[in-house]
Amino acid sequence: MQTSMTNPTGMWRRFTAAYAAFLNHLVVVAVAILVVPVTVQITSRYTELIPAYIWTEEMARFLFIWTIMIGAMLGVRNAAHFDVDLLPAMGPRVNAAMRIVSRLGVLVIAVIFVIGGIEFTRFAWNRTSELAELPLWLIHIAWPMAGVTWLVFMAEQFIDDFRIASGRTSDQ
Amino acid sequence: MTGSVLTTGQAAIILFGGFFLCLFLRIPVAFALALACLPPLLIEPRLDTMTLMSESFNVFNSFILLAVPFFLLTANLMNVGGITNKLMKLARALVGHFPGGLAQMNVVISFFFAGISGSSTADAASMSKIFIEAQRKEGYDDTFSVAITAVSSVMAVIIPPSILMIVWGGILTTSIGALFLAGIIPGLLIAGAQMATVHVYATRRGYATYPRSTLVQLLAALSQASLALLTPAIIIGGKVFGWFTATESAAIAVLYAGFLSLIVYREMDMKGLYSALLDTGKLAGVTLLCVGTASVFGWLLAYYKIPEVILTGVSAWGMGFYETGFFIAGVFLLVGCFLDAIPAIIICGPILAPLAKAVGMDPVQFAMIGIVSLAFGLVTPPYGLCLMIACSVAGINIRKALKDVLIMLIPMLLVLALIILWPKVTLFIPSLISPEFLN
Repeated sequence: MQTSMTNPTGMWRRFTAAYAAFLNHLVVVAVAILVVPVTVQITSRYTELIPAYIWTEEMARFLFIWTIMIGAMLGVRNAAHFDVDLLPAMGPRVNAAMRIVSRLGVLVIAVIFVIGGIEFTRFAWNRTSELAELPLWLIHIAWPMAGVTWLVFMAEQFIDDFRIASGRTSDQ
Repeated sequence: MTGSVLTTGQAAIILFGGFFLCLFLRIPVAFALALACLPPLLIEPRLDTMTLMSESFNVFNSFILLAVPFFLLTANLMNVGGITNKLMKLARALVGHFPGGLAQMNVVISFFFAGISGSSTADAASMSKIFIEAQRKEGYDDTFSVAITAVSSVMAVIIPPSILMIVWGGILTTSIGALFLAGIIPGLLIAGAQMATVHVYATRRGYATYPRSTLVQLLAALSQASLALLTPAIIIGGKVFGWFTATESAAIAVLYAGFLSLIVYREMDMKGLYSALLDTGKLAGVTLLCVGTASVFGWLLAYYKIPEVILTGVSAWGMGFYETGFFIAGVFLLVGCFLDAIPAIIICGPILAPLAKAVGMDPVQFAMIGIVSLAFGLVTPPYGLCLMIACSVAGINIRKALKDVLIMLIPMLLVLALIILWPKVTLFIPSLISPEFLN
């Protein structure tokens, strides 16, 4: 789409691309930090270099949950969530129609994650974690965030597949 | 009886029927499992959609599963940091002169890789990038290259360390150290079976051979790779002798691979490190989301007491030791066709454990039957992750590669049969080193 950089759809697409790039950086940082608390845990057990912090394990687990959820968010953007191919090979237009159907399934879960997730976050509003005493909603909010992010990423995928399925653009 | 609106039978139909319907519509597995859980969650007054989140929170919030990103990261660091290259040279010097030398190297390097990383998908991804194009250039058939790359990658979960062993040990409270040791002989047998398969293919189809390496070359390759080859000893030794936990051993693998890449071999740049971390985060997210929804699915099965009904039915058949072994393998082989291995363990492991116990099977042997069967599931369609990865790198359809995959699985199925029929195959090494772990 050559003219898309100026119209609203183009703006939206640039926004989602930037958001995906931001999530990429975030997950890289999360994975890199993930190794630290576990290393601290082992080091403190065998050396006197650092005291044995009790919150290291909890830190690692919470960061891990965010890593999973961000990775899962990006998975929808990149269509990387694995599916099972039980149907025979079909033409590009039927394939696009099938992608719309399967994305509707993802859409339902995304909406559930947003609605149920807000309740899930509110449920944890006044609670803190056992060891590090972190507010628990910081972790629970990963679910509604994932739901919202999936909705954001799926909008343009629906439009693209709809164009292919209706024969307005050809599948590349 | 259960105090629920749906009966056990109705719930089973909704859960399994819904799941397969969603799969058929090509909805990604992680979401298909969640969708199948929705009707019961909405119908039952005592449950709500928050269960979807709280149950996955509970399973993610475990130290055990942290091993998944760590082993993925180890594999990615090995590739960008030059460790894979060193292992490649060693494999070339060891088996390059056999018929089909490149394909033999493919098997041998997966064997080494398996001893360092515990992730088959990571192995399939990196070996596909290296071998499929190289084998194409040397005149191997694409279907053969894809099949051997995918099939050899399953060794990563059979040979210790292994993500599946850690997850199995965590969920069914079996000693992970004993499982690590139990995987050694089956791993060697499967590597042998695969090398024999390659030999037959290569001699019949006249695949290329390299000139034999000199002893000096072999020793040079061995010394270059020696530090990398030390990894399994550190990880398995550390776990067996109780220096660190399973998850910590995976973190040690990351640190050691990072140390070799950054300080010893010095082949890693910032770009390589970034892509290693990014690939790890993405793959871990996609894999583990599915683990989360599978545990909700498994939780609902238990809520409706479906496992108990299945168990009562199966117990009535009065199977003996060997029948039970083959039954367990059959269930995991079948489930492995539709589910990834970790979700399959979460859902089926607890259902089958009482059966194994009833016939006096050692939990370690039971675990190895399950893990090896599930490893085959990584290359069996429709949901064989390693095969899907290798096919997408080669750009061919899964259906085309299927015949060669099935041929290669035959000798491996014989190894599985041996594991069932002869408990010593899995229990011998654990009984030598840590008999206290066995029952």
